[in-house]
Amino acid sequence: MVKMRLVALALLLVLALSLSGIAAAQDSVTLRVWTGSSSPAENEFKEAQFARFQEANPNITLDVLISPDYGTQIQAAFAAGDYPEVFTAGQFDFPSYVDSGLLMPAGDRIVEPDDIYPSLQAAFSDADGNAYCVPKDFSTLALFYNADYFEQAGVDAPTAEWTWDDMSAAAQAITDADLTTADGIEVVGLSAAADRNRWMAFFWGNGAQLFNDADEVVFDSPESIASLEFYANFVTAGTGAIPANLGGAGWNGEAFGKGYAAMTVEGNWAIGYLRNDFPDVNWGVVEIPTAPSGNKGTLTFTECWAVGANAANDPAVADAAWALVNFLTGPEEAVANGNEGFGPMPARASAAEAWLAAQGDVGAPFVAGADYAWAPVFPLGYGDFTAAVDEGTVAVMNGEATAEEAITEAAEIAREIQAEG
Amino acid sequence: MAEPAVKSVPTASAAAVTTQQSAKRQEIFAGLVFIAPAFVILFLFMILPLLVAGYFSLTDWNGRRPLNQEGAYEIVGLRNYEQLLIQGRRVDDFYNALKNTVYYVLGVVPTQTIIALVLAVIVNQKWMRWRGFFRTAYYFPSITSSIVVSMIFLFMFSNTGPVNGFLSSVFPSYKPVTWLANNDGVIHNFLGVLGITENSSTFLKDTEIFRISLWDWLSGPSVSLLTIMILAIWTTIGTMMVVYLSALQNIPAQVYEAAYVDGATAWQAFRKITVPLLAPTTFFVITLGLIGTFQVFDQIYVLRNDTTRETTMSVAYLVYDFAFGSLNDPRMDRATATAVTLFLIIFVATLIQRRITGGDQAK
Repeated sequence: MVKMRLVALALLLVLALSLSGIAAAQDSVTLRVWTGSSSPAENEFKEAQFARFQEANPNITLDVLISPDYGTQIQAAFAAGDYPEVFTAGQFDFPSYVDSGLLMPAGDRIVEPDDIYPSLQAAFSDADGNAYCVPKDFSTLALFYNADYFEQAGVDAPTAEWTWDDMSAAAQAITDADLTTADGIEVVGLSAAADRNRWMAFFWGNGAQLFNDADEVVFDSPESIASLEFYANFVTAGTGAIPANLGGAGWNGEAFGKGYAAMTVEGNWAIGYLRNDFPDVNWGVVEIPTAPSGNKGTLTFTECWAVGANAANDPAVADAAWALVNFLTGPEEAVANGNEGFGPMPARASAAEAWLAAQGDVGAPFVAGADYAWAPVFPLGYGDFTAAVDEGTVAVMNGEATAEEAITEAAEIAREIQAEG
Repeated sequence: MAEPAVKSVPTASAAAVTTQQSAKRQEIFAGLVFIAPAFVILFLFMILPLLVAGYFSLTDWNGRRPLNQEGAYEIVGLRNYEQLLIQGRRVDDFYNALKNTVYYVLGVVPTQTIIALVLAVIVNQKWMRWRGFFRTAYYFPSITSSIVVSMIFLFMFSNTGPVNGFLSSVFPSYKPVTWLANNDGVIHNFLGVLGITENSSTFLKDTEIFRISLWDWLSGPSVSLLTIMILAIWTTIGTMMVVYLSALQNIPAQVYEAAYVDGATAWQAFRKITVPLLAPTTFFVITLGLIGTFQVFDQIYVLRNDTTRETTMSVAYLVYDFAFGSLNDPRMDRATATAVTLFLIIFVATLIQRRITGGDQAK
């Protein structure tokens, strides 16, 4: 009995303490902040950012969750209607977040908006141009090349002035040179993942679009077909291969790092990977070659800090939430992000220099890409269309269909979806 | 002691009735209490989600709109099922996934059952040395995480991996197969050896059922899927073997002794005693195998890549793909419709299998 009483007393004490804690917190604002966990370096940086914000804003308490299973967790929270006030959103999630009414419109709350790359802010705005979310950082694609193979095959190293034809010719020459790796695998010109989010860099580079200005589906334009043909031709002609067929590599970066391919199209996340895992490979990076249209294109992958629609109910919470988002994405933190120099580039042009200084020369082509990059995101409801593009990409690269067939089929589906409204 | 009991018959029987009644009531109560935890868990984590999934399969919910918000979803009736099963842009995806899954089930379940039975009989022999070691060795893959096992297979079946290395050292003319990136159907390959190709029969090539040609229906599992099937067989035989082993040890030794006295050979004893007496276990093993293989997901999640997307797509993976595969256009409604359809398929398959293996007679 005495024991029971002690336990009950202890419970009461705990309850009283936690109640007083709530009472004390009522004077200030508590924000739930959720984000995904990535590299240890980036997690540490985020923690440090939150600490700096806390120091400057003692009346705002942050309840931070950095989760390795972020996507599932936040989706469950959304479905339950009990979600964090501040969270990160990816470009692919963004359209459905807006449609589901989960984001608070930014209005004119974003600080120094002109400094943010327009292509990134566009990825986080609705069709009418209203911004909802502030870009945090981004990655673009560029062409990685193995300098040693180019030298051994007697081919001039790529430059920013390269065209598609130069790239094809170099892949051919290197494949013909019959180079082999230490473990006896023949080196091909290009490691080409059968991935929509690689070849579509050439799609937009060639001036192709899903819709024209009159909002008609023009996915099956000659420019579109030519871009898939160009990319898939490396594999069907044998001057390139998908990574799985290059020593069973899991992705382009691995196939390239292990020396199975002389070139590959990848993002700036591959820089750190190649430096850490393959320090002996002598590689370089240039911008993606110029399309026959005379333009360049690349893809961007970006993430933003968003304020939940639930914060809009309470002006104090909304102000605190936007203060945090502006702090995290503001010019000062963007430079701090750049100085850290891990994977992605800060979303502000003013911080590019800091990132380049930390990253070295190889970062320059990725920064240059920000000017002509496209976020490869299609409107909400076009999931069947992207599935058709994915399927078609694989079919073309396996030699089971022509680029024209695959593109035409996907375009038909896009028209069908558009007609359904 | 008997005398007073007889004397007090009327009162005692009345008391006995009441005590019997209350004992019965108590028994029912105790029974309910005992099954309550299991029932609550089953209800909360199996039955309720199933009903909820069934409900959402009739809506247009995207899985993200807060459910406490006005207009989070609308009831659309059977539209999701119609688009999945009858006509729609993803009908061929569903039937393709179903085709792969059926080939997977037909390949894995009989093979793993037979191998498990044979292994169990072998490690049950008294003359066998290191029985404990073999039992542990065969059981080991089953208790290893399927993700870990898949990673090992990823390495073993890679182009330069041990499997190709072994094959090329034994058969010098062997041309390395890219096991995990090969979309050719094994039945197609076999027919190809016989000289039959897609163009041999215009009937097979041009007859389409659900936008998939008859020729493609007959593809068999792709080489990549076959690799995944080998993995599934390898990991599950251990569990099935243990089940068989425990049943084997329940067969009385006298039955065998009597048979041997009558002059039965070892093979006859196996055919006429072991197999029939294990029938209830076989029913159990096949049912477990059927349900497990129809739901194959994790091995495929690890072992597939962009290029084998179509030929390794299982129905369970399609559920995931609809719900979470497209961040741009999540379709929880369609995913739940697919999940409910898969449930019904497994239900029917188990009923059929029960008929065939005579599970209802099994004690």
